[in-house]
Amino acid sequence: MTPQLPAWLDPSPWLDGREPTAVDVERALGCDEPGPRELAAMLSPAAHPFMEVMAQRARALTRRRFGRTISLYAPLYLSNHCTNGCVYCGFASDRAQPRRRLEPSEVEKELAMLKEMGFEEVLLLTGERTSHAGFDYLLECVSMAARRFHGVGIEAFPMTTREYALLAEAGCSGVTLYQETYDPRQYDRLHRWGPKRDYLDRLYAPARAMEAGMRTVGLGVLLGLSDLVFDAVCLLRHAAHLQRIHWKSGITLSFPRLRPQAGNFAAPITVDEAWLARFVFAVRIVLPDVPLLLSTRERPEFRDGMAGLGISKMSAGSRTTVGGYDGAEPSTGGQFQVCDERGVPEFCAMLRSRGLQPVFKNWDSVFREAEAGGHG
Amino acid sequence: MERQGNGQDDWIVGGRRFSSRLLMGTGKFQDSETMVGAVLASGAQIVTVALRRVGRVSREDDMLGPLHRLGGITLMPNTSGARNAAEAVRAARLGRELGGSPFVKVEIHPNPHHLMPDPIETFEAARVLAAEGFVVMPYMPADPVLARRLEDVGCASLMPLGSAIGSGGGLATAEMLRLIIRDARIPVIVDAGLRSPSEAAAALEMGCDAVLVNSAVAASGDPIAMAAAFAQAVVAGRNAHRAGIMPRGGGTALATSPLTEFISGEGT
Repeated sequence: MTPQLPAWLDPSPWLDGREPTAVDVERALGCDEPGPRELAAMLSPAAHPFMEVMAQRARALTRRRFGRTISLYAPLYLSNHCTNGCVYCGFASDRAQPRRRLEPSEVEKELAMLKEMGFEEVLLLTGERTSHAGFDYLLECVSMAARRFHGVGIEAFPMTTREYALLAEAGCSGVTLYQETYDPRQYDRLHRWGPKRDYLDRLYAPARAMEAGMRTVGLGVLLGLSDLVFDAVCLLRHAAHLQRIHWKSGITLSFPRLRPQAGNFAAPITVDEAWLARFVFAVRIVLPDVPLLLSTRERPEFRDGMAGLGISKMSAGSRTTVGGYDGAEPSTGGQFQVCDERGVPEFCAMLRSRGLQPVFKNWDSVFREAEAGGHG
Repeated sequence: MERQGNGQDDWIVGGRRFSSRLLMGTGKFQDSETMVGAVLASGAQIVTVALRRVGRVSREDDMLGPLHRLGGITLMPNTSGARNAAEAVRAARLGRELGGSPFVKVEIHPNPHHLMPDPIETFEAARVLAAEGFVVMPYMPADPVLARRLEDVGCASLMPLGSAIGSGGGLATAEMLRLIIRDARIPVIVDAGLRSPSEAAAALEMGCDAVLVNSAVAASGDPIAMAAAFAQAVVAGRNAHRAGIMPRGGGTALATSPLTEFISGEGT
């Protein structure tokens, strides 16, 4: 059964079916407190001529809030076992993909390599909860990562509040969980089997993570799955809702764009770079104080240009395969195709050449130790 | 930069004497050379560094190394990132270990979006750290009552916000700042929200002992030139304050219908 959108999420009051005009876009850009209506205007075709104005505004706001810096993090894929049937994903359970998980000694090795590359913040990823890579496995991996890294986040499956609390205690400070699409009907079509079919369980998981004391929750939609403006306005509403109810946690937003995956799934909606860029600018204008992330899904030239233009945090040198950093694994067959394959030194040199300081350490484990009751 | 230099207008905090009334933050710069250049151009003698940016081992984006090499700077580690008093206290202790400075800017903002300081947690952390002998400089809401409370538990200075961190909102809290300055017996430093040198001058004219800036310099077109401009503004504002600013309004113009004719001038 297709779930009803909760009232706090429903974007329909702002999507009245009238196509925004240039006047609406100008009004949105002049608005002191832009919200869902202004976001929708800035994402409409009428806003295309305002691209440069929006970019300038996005850069000024990003610089004022985040300075001339870009925070860096690295993803670490722990396991590609999965029981879900997400039609767009390279790790879906019907893909003829070799499956494996990293054993603890391998996790240590990958973590050591990331540390060697200079990272101080790591994002641990898995597929759906399975007997191969379930909660206890993830908890163990978080503990291992927390011994080496100041910042540890996870991108895995929806959990209970109690589970999130255990992860937080073990040193996890961030949970990333994309709704993929907020359109319940499309969600139902795309998630063919597995626990992920439960739209509402996923929708409420970020709130549970915050309730459990996670400092940061990362939201996003997989751009190209459904109507872009609908998903964008829902994303904004979701972020605003979480900010209202959990005032001691922060939101980050990511901009994953559907790229060719295993299984040759064709995206229902084409998202070109121009629209993606305008989406980032618009979100920055509407949410001046939220960290905005861009991954290595995008090509180097695009990433270079977007650094500091709304985007404040980036991954670099990423491998999206299980065991990808020690070089023993092929670089194909990842969850998504890495388009920016540059190494960390090269990426950092690019940032510097654009007047941006790469920041590896923007957090300290001392806060986490205090949380756990610590010693001393 | 221009300085009074004769020591007659120095101010004292934590038992140390300072001539510069401009404090600098170190985040948000494009590289450490620009940061160091801006600190030098500002003439700042107290510089704050976020502990979350300081590594246990020295590295490129580490903030402490370049500042240590500068010399003559009092380092004031800050606890930015702490959500509560317990976290801030631990961060402060770590800061003393790493930076070797008893100065600490207690900075507790549980909401990572608006970054407003938590008065309750700030008070608690300040109380604990002052008792441990830290030179406690709390970043605080511009609240005159909280100011007295923080003074009573042994803070070395008060650092009320002009407006939200990084907002460039200027002296939005001016009315409260005046009350804090009027009653404080320890230095008052406006921290956060300043956008332009004229606002820093206005803070000093008002009677603040000093200001702290970061975003206004680091996010400006030319951070080093802007740091120098802030230094000049702070000197001008302080000199104006000492000179005594002309009262606002005419003050002595007489209305056509006198209000005081009924007063006889005789005793009762």
